[in-house]
Amino acid sequence: MGSEDPLPKWASKPCIMGIDEAGRGPVLGPMVYGCLYCARSYQKTLSSLNFADSKTLKEEKREELFENLKSDESIGWAVDVIDPKELSAKMLKKNKINLNEISHDSAIGLVRRVLNMGVLLTEVYVDTVGDAEKYRIKLSERFPAIKFVVAKKADSLFPVVSGASIVAKVTRDRALREWVLDETADNMHRNFGSGYPGDPGTKAWLEHHKHLVFGFPSLVRFSWGTCAPYFKDIVEVLWESDKTDEDGSSSGNGKRQLKLSNVGFTTSKRKSEEIESSGKGRCKFFQARKLEQLTYF
Amino acid sequence: MMHEEGTIIDLRQSEGGADLVDLGGKVHQLPCSIKYDGPSSVSHYFKPKPTGIEVEGLELQEAYFRGRKLQGTAIPIPQGYSGFVLGKKNLVKRKASDMSEGNSNCWEVNAKFRDVTYWNHDILPSHDDAFLRSFHWLSVAKVLHKPVTAEDLSSASITLQKMG
Repeated sequence: MGSEDPLPKWASKPCIMGIDEAGRGPVLGPMVYGCLYCARSYQKTLSSLNFADSKTLKEEKREELFENLKSDESIGWAVDVIDPKELSAKMLKKNKINLNEISHDSAIGLVRRVLNMGVLLTEVYVDTVGDAEKYRIKLSERFPAIKFVVAKKADSLFPVVSGASIVAKVTRDRALREWVLDETADNMHRNFGSGYPGDPGTKAWLEHHKHLVFGFPSLVRFSWGTCAPYFKDIVEVLWESDKTDEDGSSSGNGKRQLKLSNVGFTTSKRKSEEIESSGKGRCKFFQARKLEQLTYF
Repeated sequence: MMHEEGTIIDLRQSEGGADLVDLGGKVHQLPCSIKYDGPSSVSHYFKPKPTGIEVEGLELQEAYFRGRKLQGTAIPIPQGYSGFVLGKKNLVKRKASDMSEGNSNCWEVNAKFRDVTYWNHDILPSHDDAFLRSFHWLSVAKVLHKPVTAEDLSSASITLQKMG
C-alpha cells in the first residue's frame, strides 16, 4: 500500500525519505513499517506541517495529519504490514529470525520498493532498531548510493521520520480496528485494546481468548514473553523440530523472545521417543522409516 | 518371536453404523505431540490453506499451529488399504468371565478416511520424509508375504545357476 502512480516529476530530483515503525511492542496484531518521501527542496515546507512523533499526538490528530499528507502531491508514502502470524512463525522457526532482523528486512524492503518506483533517493532517515551504527552499515552496504542517517528517536528529530511514524501508526491502528480473525469459534470478540501487554483491555482479551489446545487466535504473537503466563495451564505440546536443541544451550535470541523450555514446551528429560516413533532396535529399513512395532495399544 | 497376550485384535463395525463417517481431508499428522486426548474445536482454529505451489508432485498447503508455520500435503491412503478411526469397545456391560484374553482387545470402527494430511515444521514436504517412506513397507510386505509358486522357485533356481 502507498502512493498511487503516476510518478510525480519531483521524484527524479534528489529526494529524502524517513522510515519508522508502529506496533513493535504489542503482543498482538501486525507490525507496520511506514515511509514518507519528498524532494529535498520540500524539506522546509515539511517542517512546517507539524508532524510530531506520532506517539505524542492524539489519535484524531494523527488521522487528520495522515489524510493531509495523503492529499499532498509533494509527498509520497508506503507501508509494509507484517502479519502477526508471520512474526510468530519467523521467531519460532528452527533457525529463529529475531524481531530486529524482521524489522531491518522490512525497512530494506521499503527502500527497495521506493527505488524501484523510480524515486531518486539520496538521503534516508531511519529510527534505529538495535545498534544504530551496525544498522547504518547494513543499510549502506545494500544501497551504496544512499546516505543513511540512523538514530535513536529519529521520529522526534527529523520531520520526515515523524511523517513516516504517522503513516505507520495510523495504518497499524486501522489494521487492528478492521482486523478479521482467522478463527471462527463462537464468543470471540474484537475488543483487543491497544495490544500493548500492560493494557487492561488487551489482558482481558488474552484471558478470554486463550484456548486449551490452540493457545490463542493467530492474531497473537506466540513468540512474545507476555504469552508465557497464559500458557502455563494449557496443554503441553512437544515439537519434533525442538528435540535436537534440548541438550544444546539456547541460542542468543532477542530478550522478548520466549524461551520455550521455561514454559513447559520442552524439558531436557523428554526423550524423542515420546514425540515420534523411532523403529529403534529394528533393522535399518524400519529405522529409516521410523516404523515401530506395536504389540499393545 | 514374541508371543504376547492381547495381540489379537477384534474389529467390529460400530453398532447401527452401516454408513461410516468419512473424515476425508480432516485427518492430520502434526510434527508435534499434543499432550491432550479429547474433543477440540479443530476446524475453528486449524485452517489449512492451499498455496497453489507444487513440490515433487506434492500439492503444498500451509497452516499455523501455536504460532508455528506448518507446510503440509494431503496423501491418499495407498491402493488396497483404508484408514479407520478405532475406539475401544465399551465392555462394561459384559460379564467379567467374558474378559478372556481374546475379548479384552475388542475395537470398534468409528470412522474411515481415504487420505491423511501430514505437516512439517520449517521443512517442505518431500518424498524423503519418513512418513511417506513408511509406505514403502506396504510393497515390501506384499512381496514378502506373497505365496511362492512352483514357477517362482524354478525361475529363481535358474537365475542362481546362471550366477554360479
